[in-house]
Amino acid sequence: MSAPSSSPPEPALEPRGLAAPHGGVADQIVIDAQDLRMIYPPPKAGGKGTVAVDGVGFQVWRGEIFGFLGPNGAGKTTTISILTTLLDPTSGRARIEGIDVLAHPNDVRRKIGLVFQKSTADEELTGRENMLIEAGLYGLTSGQIGGHVNDLLAQMDLATSADRFVKTYSGGMRRRLELAVGMVHKPKLLFLDEPTLGLDPQGRAGFWRYIRYLRDSQGLTVFMTTHYLDEADQLCDRIAVIDHGKIIALGTPKQLKDSVGGDTLVLSVAAGSADPTALISPLPGVTAISRQGDSLRVKCSRGESLVPKVVMTAAQAGIEILGVTVIKPTLDEVFLHLTGHAYREEGEAPNGNPGHGAGNGPEGAPA
Amino acid sequence: MMLPAFSLIRREYIRWIRAPTWVISGLLSPILYLILFGQAFDLGKLLPPGTPAGVLASALSGAPTYFSYFAVGMVAFASVTAAMFSGTGIIFDKQLGILQRILSTPISRRSVFLSSLIFRGMLTLIPAFLVVGFALLLAYVPGVAGLQVGANVTALDAAQFLGAALILSVAFTSLFLSFGFAVQRIESYFGVVTILQLPILLTSNAMYPVNIMPTWLQYLVGFNPISLAVNVMRMSLFGTNGYTYSVGIYLLGLLAWAVVFVLLALLLASRALRSHVGPVGGALSDAIAT
Ligand SMILES: Nc1ncnc2c1ncn2[C@@H]1O[C@H](COP(=O)(O)OP(=O)(O)OP(=O)(O)O)[C@@H](O)[C@H]1O
Ligand SMILES: [Mg+2]
Repeated sequence: MSAPSSSPPEPALEPRGLAAPHGGVADQIVIDAQDLRMIYPPPKAGGKGTVAVDGVGFQVWRGEIFGFLGPNGAGKTTTISILTTLLDPTSGRARIEGIDVLAHPNDVRRKIGLVFQKSTADEELTGRENMLIEAGLYGLTSGQIGGHVNDLLAQMDLATSADRFVKTYSGGMRRRLELAVGMVHKPKLLFLDEPTLGLDPQGRAGFWRYIRYLRDSQGLTVFMTTHYLDEADQLCDRIAVIDHGKIIALGTPKQLKDSVGGDTLVLSVAAGSADPTALISPLPGVTAISRQGDSLRVKCSRGESLVPKVVMTAAQAGIEILGVTVIKPTLDEVFLHLTGHAYREEGEAPNGNPGHGAGNGPEGAPA
Repeated sequence: MMLPAFSLIRREYIRWIRAPTWVISGLLSPILYLILFGQAFDLGKLLPPGTPAGVLASALSGAPTYFSYFAVGMVAFASVTAAMFSGTGIIFDKQLGILQRILSTPISRRSVFLSSLIFRGMLTLIPAFLVVGFALLLAYVPGVAGLQVGANVTALDAAQFLGAALILSVAFTSLFLSFGFAVQRIESYFGVVTILQLPILLTSNAMYPVNIMPTWLQYLVGFNPISLAVNVMRMSLFGTNGYTYSVGIYLLGLLAWAVVFVLLALLLASRALRSHVGPVGGALSDAIAT
């Protein structure tokens, strides 16, 4: 990932809003959200409203890919809707390129591209028609934008189906069209709400390659939500983790992962041999050890460099080590660490209500 | 540079032209009205034989035959009936998230409404013109009643006729569009339309002369925008005898209705489009899972 500015030494994770600019240009704030709050009105009069966003604030720098992560119902789409002028927040303010979203929504709309979580294409039109109509809403004619439309269709692997009705598209094709439509007017700031949902690995890789290319060549800034933690880890310069409408962590993927305490070494020890815990814990870098039967989990700062020391120490004491696995921290663990509940896999909960408790199962998550 | 509103009109046009069943049913029903209702229901036949021609003409405010009288009413009837579907598109656009997409672009909220008004308004004029053309043609079919127009119809008369048709269409397209903006479900929309349909159409002079109605009804009928438009149209084709006011007054009255309906629609549309707490994203189950 080529960062325009050289990375400063990684500071410790800061709770929110203050993390150093990483991929982006520090002095150019593109998105500035301050204490956003959104309470949806109750369905029935007298009922209690839903607090969807509860004091969210952050800044996104030019040229940065900024990830917004959180479980279903955390408030991601609501935040995007506020930032893109589609929803007036209950309180708080937001500026896009210095323009207030509440005061000058139309100026903001001119600056941004938006890909909705939900499909918004017109089924009765072809893919190309959808793109040209969208371009027309920005005042662009097909003469001005036709070449770009063809480029985008090719990039999204839709060149051969561009003139078919959208109602004949597969789910992934619709998603790719949605991405193309969101970029048809060449925005410099893109909001992507779960852009790669339902795309095959090839489609995901292709899309991200294109986004990176635009970022590097044209300084595109991206604000995205995703449920694919690996995707966020690889792509995002910075990540904000949101849960129950609050940002609970913000930093580079590395900062976030470091915050859970580094790597985990899993050692399997021959049955019946002595317990090596006392030998290993004084080794440099080891922060915690726990034993489950014949396997030992060693928390440490750098797993690879600890392996030879552990093996040697054990061998000298006559303890046989059968295998060693180094587990690098994932955002999954970050999530578990921050919220006390595992990141629920997609599909486990069919709807977006925030009824996830700490109880429903961090299975198999190394802790 | 292209006007964003034109892009929306183009979209509506493409959709419309691709839905031939809609086109056919929209165009066929006014013609059926003309043939079945218009031919069967001849008030003139109720007069005893030997009644002087002037009696019927004066009852019909100058129209030479009942069919001629009725055909002009049907012009208004056809365009108002067509206008009743104007608000459906916007409801589907809301439900499918297409409106969300449109609202995320810099097109002004007023343009969203105006593009619908222009396109839908044009659509309601098609059956109106079709009725005129078809009724005129019927006059040449032997044994069938047709629209008979006086020889002294001037260009100004024709312009008045068209003007009245146009203003009527703008008024009712706006009214029904505003319901489309205001409600979220197609059922609610047709609920409103069903309640309004008969009162709007039957408290007008589109089908029968006002003088055969009770006085209280005559008042209602006099204010109905359909009656005002039909008065202008009939006066343009059959002469101004037997009308209380001049063409200009009726046109002004009609215009006043149009202004009220357009303002109402603008208000409801901008309210509905301002902060649309609609299906912005929704749960994962709503997403494109296949
Ligand atoms: N239009 C609405 N009316 C009322 N409540 C809403 C509305 N939209 C969202 N909510 C509620 O607000 C909360 C946040 O929803 P939001 O769509 O922002 O979550 P999300 O983080 O995007 O979730 P997902 O990962 O499922 O897309 C949820 O509790 C949801 O039920
Ligand atoms: Mg969402």
